[in-house]
Amino acid sequence: MIELKNVTRRFGDAVAVDRINLTVESGEVCVLVGSSGCGKSTTLRMINQLLPHSEGEILVDGKDVTAMNPEQLRLNMGYVIQGTGLFPHWTVARNIAMVPQLLKWPRERIDERVHELLTLLDLDPATHANKYPQQLSGGQAQRVGVARALAANPNILLMDEPFGALDAITRENLQLEMLRIQSQLRKTTVFVTHDIDEALRLATRIAVMDRGRIIQHDTPENILRRPASDFVENLVGKQDRGLKLMSLRTVRDLMQSYPQPRQPEPGADGLKEADSLRVALSIMLWQNWNQVPVFNADGEETGTITRERIIREGA
Amino acid sequence: MSIFSSVSPNSMPNRVLPVLGLLALALVWLLELGVIQPNRIVPGTGHGLWSAVGGAGAGLVSLILAGCVVLSLLPVRRRYLPLLALVGLSLALLPLLLEVFAGRHLPEDAPYARSSIGAGFWCLLFLLSLMLIEILGRLGSGRGLQLLILAVISGSWLWFLRSDGLESLSLVREFNARPDKFEQAFWTHMALAFGAVGISACLAFLLALKMIRSVVWRRPILGAVSFLQTIPSLAVFGLLIAPLSALAAAFPALQAIGIRGIGWAPALLALVAYSLLPMVRNTFVALTEVPESLADAGRGMGMNERQLFFKLKLPLALPVMVEGVRITTIQAIGLTAVAALIGAGGFGSFIFQGLGQAAMDLVLLGALPTIALALLADALLTMLAAILKPTPATA
Repeated sequence: MIELKNVTRRFGDAVAVDRINLTVESGEVCVLVGSSGCGKSTTLRMINQLLPHSEGEILVDGKDVTAMNPEQLRLNMGYVIQGTGLFPHWTVARNIAMVPQLLKWPRERIDERVHELLTLLDLDPATHANKYPQQLSGGQAQRVGVARALAANPNILLMDEPFGALDAITRENLQLEMLRIQSQLRKTTVFVTHDIDEALRLATRIAVMDRGRIIQHDTPENILRRPASDFVENLVGKQDRGLKLMSLRTVRDLMQSYPQPRQPEPGADGLKEADSLRVALSIMLWQNWNQVPVFNADGEETGTITRERIIREGA
Repeated sequence: MSIFSSVSPNSMPNRVLPVLGLLALALVWLLELGVIQPNRIVPGTGHGLWSAVGGAGAGLVSLILAGCVVLSLLPVRRRYLPLLALVGLSLALLPLLLEVFAGRHLPEDAPYARSSIGAGFWCLLFLLSLMLIEILGRLGSGRGLQLLILAVISGSWLWFLRSDGLESLSLVREFNARPDKFEQAFWTHMALAFGAVGISACLAFLLALKMIRSVVWRRPILGAVSFLQTIPSLAVFGLLIAPLSALAAAFPALQAIGIRGIGWAPALLALVAYSLLPMVRNTFVALTEVPESLADAGRGMGMNERQLFFKLKLPLALPVMVEGVRITTIQAIGLTAVAALIGAGGFGSFIFQGLGQAAMDLVLLGALPTIALALLADALLTMLAAILKPTPATA
């Protein structure tokens, strides 16, 4: 758990972060979103004390960060930045092994962990472990950046616009990857971005920041339904709010389930339980379907969903 | 694939090698290959290629050069290996020309008569070396092969120079007259040049660290080392005589370890002063150009400043720092020759002695090893920088 109590950061006379209060519960993903210069990166960098705060209190698992040795504090927090920050003179394996090596893990345990993490992030250890960062694509490099942050199994993950420099397709892949990993690992995560769609997709709760203050701190659904101010309303976009709400929910929420999963007819078309309602509606509009079967991850037919129900209850 | 390989650079007619080859062919015929002197001082009589090594020798030399030209013009892909063999072997066996020349022309009954190297031979040596460099570049050869060729050629030259056939060569005569002094000069030269580089490397490292830690010191330090570089080298050697003499006179203990107005002490001081600028500049730039985002990542992962320095900044900066050492070493080897003027010893002493006695071969005895040392240091340090280069060339 991370608690910020009345935290202020000044640069000279300028106030970058103004008396903010924020609590990030264990295992949740808190996304700080806002335009550049709103203080979101400053807030993140105060949590691992790369920037000391001017006033207030920052508690990590109940302990004041200023009372801890900063290196010890950071060794227990994964840190991912935009542009990866991978060391160019180290191989992928050595980059991932950075924190375990600082923690003086034995050799075999490090090798095992590197292998495990490369596999977790969908990189083939045999082909990628001995490459250098500049031999990787942007998406691969950022996967390595995430693997490096997870290496010593920290409880907390700090991510500073990690996918900001990637193209739209790679970014979306990595977001899905992150959701998958987060569902397995449940790290307490603070994630900084200026992309509201990224925030809506990844967050358990979103903190919208503007000019050094937190304007609203709530779940994605509440941010969309009840924006606290015009600023938040503009940020989430007035017009496509309905579709954005739909993308927060999945087919599973509105489907009509069968009592027993069935074996599907061969070659049958349909939707997956994990598809968002937005995707489901889009496909149904395009294919001109009114009702389609829904399949689970194992490929069994588990129910059906209708267009009317999505339109009626989706947003 | 076949389309690409048929126009690949290696199968195109080479333009550099024919020019070098033809130039060598022209110069070796136009200029004197060697000179026979009745004694050390009297100007001798020159011999062209035909006269020096006879018809057969002249024919062979011309044939080899013409062969290189023709081979390099042929649009065949695998011609650089035979070319390498031809040019490399010619370079290794080049002293044979001097041996044949001495055997043919040296009068039997004149013990003071000597043969010396003519302009034609130097041109041949120089142009063949250029051809070798071009061929090695085209082959894209690895360091191992380059080192091997260098070792074979220099080994062959050493063997020829130590054999009896070249005993009459004036350069060898000058060496044989003072082998102890030559050895001493070699060690003095090495000690002065590399000592200065070593001391200034340590000093420069400390100065660069100081500059990184405190911004206030940046301009004064860079200004001071730049200023040192602008004083003419001879002036520094001269200017140091008076203060060092005074110092030695005031503290006899200093005198006891050899610090005087002339000799190694002022030479070393001046060399260190000259070496500082490239070292400080390279070290400072290399260490400050490590991207801040990398340091930020390292710090954020829990590295302390010492770990950041040794694991990140230093390894990334090292190739640029070695580059500074390379520049400085070449410069120091050359400057050490000048330091002989204030009695520091080294190969420079032969140069100045030879100039005083109008004995050009003695000058060469000082100059050639200086050049060889500089080239060798350059090659080795370039290699070191390439090895230390942290990331593979393929991006």
